[in-house]
Amino acid sequence: MKNLTKISAIALATSVLTTPVQAVEIEVGYAYSSLFDVTMERLIPEFNKAHPDIDVKFRATYENYEDGTNTILRESVAGDLPDVTFQGLNRQALLVEKGIAKSLEPFIAAEADFAKDGYHQAMLDLGTFNGEVYGLPYSVSLPVGYYNMDNLNAVGITELPTTWDEVIAACHTLMDAGHKTPMWWGWSVTGNWFFQALMWSQGEPILKDGKVNFDGEAGLAALEQMKKLFRECDMPNLSAGDAGVPFNSGEVSMYFWSTSAVGAIERAKGDFELKTGKYPGMGQPPKGLPAGGNSVMMVSTSEDPEEIAAAWKFVKFATSGIGAALVAETTGYIPPNKAANDLLTDFYAQNPNKYTAVEQSGLLRDWIAYPGDNGLAITQVLYDGMESIVTGESDDMAELQEELVEEVNDLLPK
Amino acid sequence: MGRSKAHYWFVGPAILLMLLLLIAPVVVAAALSMTDYSLGNSGFNWIGWENYEKLFTRRSYSKMFTASLTYVLLVVPISVALGLGSALLISSLRIGGELYKAIFFLPVMATLLAMAIVWEFALNPIVGVVNDILRSGCDKSVIYGFLSGSWLGYDPLESWYGSACEKKFPLWLGDRKYALGTIAFIGIWQAFGFNMVLYLAGLTSVPRELYQAAQMDGADSAWERFKLVTWPMLGPTHVFVITISSIRSFQVFDTVEALTEGGPSKSTYVMIYAMFEKGVRQNLLGMGSAITIVFLIFVLILTLVQVYFVNRKVHY
Repeated sequence: MKNLTKISAIALATSVLTTPVQAVEIEVGYAYSSLFDVTMERLIPEFNKAHPDIDVKFRATYENYEDGTNTILRESVAGDLPDVTFQGLNRQALLVEKGIAKSLEPFIAAEADFAKDGYHQAMLDLGTFNGEVYGLPYSVSLPVGYYNMDNLNAVGITELPTTWDEVIAACHTLMDAGHKTPMWWGWSVTGNWFFQALMWSQGEPILKDGKVNFDGEAGLAALEQMKKLFRECDMPNLSAGDAGVPFNSGEVSMYFWSTSAVGAIERAKGDFELKTGKYPGMGQPPKGLPAGGNSVMMVSTSEDPEEIAAAWKFVKFATSGIGAALVAETTGYIPPNKAANDLLTDFYAQNPNKYTAVEQSGLLRDWIAYPGDNGLAITQVLYDGMESIVTGESDDMAELQEELVEEVNDLLPK
Repeated sequence: MGRSKAHYWFVGPAILLMLLLLIAPVVVAAALSMTDYSLGNSGFNWIGWENYEKLFTRRSYSKMFTASLTYVLLVVPISVALGLGSALLISSLRIGGELYKAIFFLPVMATLLAMAIVWEFALNPIVGVVNDILRSGCDKSVIYGFLSGSWLGYDPLESWYGSACEKKFPLWLGDRKYALGTIAFIGIWQAFGFNMVLYLAGLTSVPRELYQAAQMDGADSAWERFKLVTWPMLGPTHVFVITISSIRSFQVFDTVEALTEGGPSKSTYVMIYAMFEKGVRQNLLGMGSAITIVFLIFVLILTLVQVYFVNRKVHY
């Protein structure tokens, strides 16, 4: 008994010692630790400098955006929500629908000159639902091409491809020179992002007025384009993790993926010259591309106004000025904030690989999520559909299109 | 003389716990399976048998049943046969049996999830050790000749090994032709040690005298003694081992989750993984519950079959 009191006294003493007495503690969750850990490691010291009275505690990182949304849903049922969460741009709607995300309007109204901080309309639109802002975009990405210039130059390719046909031609040249896996295309990116990229390339959204919009010519063209690309380039079904490794090691020469990975690839790649290039189009330059990335949402259930205010300060700090500039410096994402982009002029001059996405930013379109309870299930249906092209299970694209349209229609809210 | 009420107190706690921990969750799952409840929603609708109807009409679910059944049909016979074989071999050893027992039992004790990660590295198509070893045999004429069949005069490029040398070695987990087989291989590797231990226990209960009697009656060869004594005497063990292996194979999840996530093309979309994907990943608790109930029915059938055989007094 005596020992027990001693132990609890020590525990009490240490807990008092470790937490600064007046600090407000806020809890934050984010996804993709391999991309954002470096960013957060630099963001927190800066944030603490500006707000020494706020203590930021991170929850376990989400594996991906779907996991992030699910974690929030579970935490909401269990009554254990964090204060701030970083959510995939395409998953915000779900949390708004279910009433978990808080409207940011009251906070924005209380800010004296919000527009001056670099928040502009196009960016706010990405997180606006029913006329109210719920999420502030934190990092925005676009699909780009990664090229191993050593391999390409060795077979005589000096110009980066601008259409998929040119990519296929480059594949043939590389394969003739003995490269077994010339190209890998990120069909498996979360939220059917690359399928949407091919649809937006033709100027078509994947969903129009709540109805499937890939049932027409554009949808078929997108599927046929994938099939042609996979077959002609002899693309193996590597998992996304498996594919980054061979590109970094120089076995894969062309790699189509999100610009978000520029930082990670530059850190991990072998000794070769890396160049990023604009996303190729289907015969002509893309008419649009889906905006990937994530936004910051407030999901705090706290009654304590101090904690809420602290959470808002963190949201604001992360999405503007230094906070947002850090995103570009560490990852390859575009910070969707004018003020932050102004801080980065020198940086982009030195890092042209990270500038490719910024050059494409006029093409930004919605990364559409499917509405209703079956939203995640629909993502899986399209994922399975694309996978069946990669594995060779589906060969008749018209038939595949018909199947997908039927299944997705069935899952959409009536 | 009035009967004592003590018996209620004896069985009461057990029944109460069983109701709370086993029966109640099943009833809740059965009820949920008739709804369209999605996690985070404030309410739900009763939709009757719709979830079950989907389960038996949709293509992705028929792939689920195919994957689960194929897995069971691959793993159960092979792991039971290997378990019996290794048990017989080990019990015939004078020395060293303990060592083999420990080695074969190791995969059973290791956490399957941790082992799955080891397998993932080993099976990586580009940097994995499995394909590395296979590839290194390609330029050694002895190994190449043997594995590709060119020694026997076949065209080496016709054979699996020869054509793989020429082109690419398989993506063990990324190719729908190989994925389920690879997962089943890991399952067998993990399960047969357990079956071996069960058979070793079964073998110790076979009376020595029966072998001597059989020998006196003219069963001279080891095969005949196995056929006439060992095999029938292991009857109860067979029933137990096969039931346990089947149930455990139906329950496979960790390797699928860690290695293939049900892919490619749903070729490894086993039942428990489907349950997890629908109920946990996609928040569709109604559908997840429906799969759970069907799964429970499968396990129940297996258990009933076992009870039937035990009641027929398979033991001698």
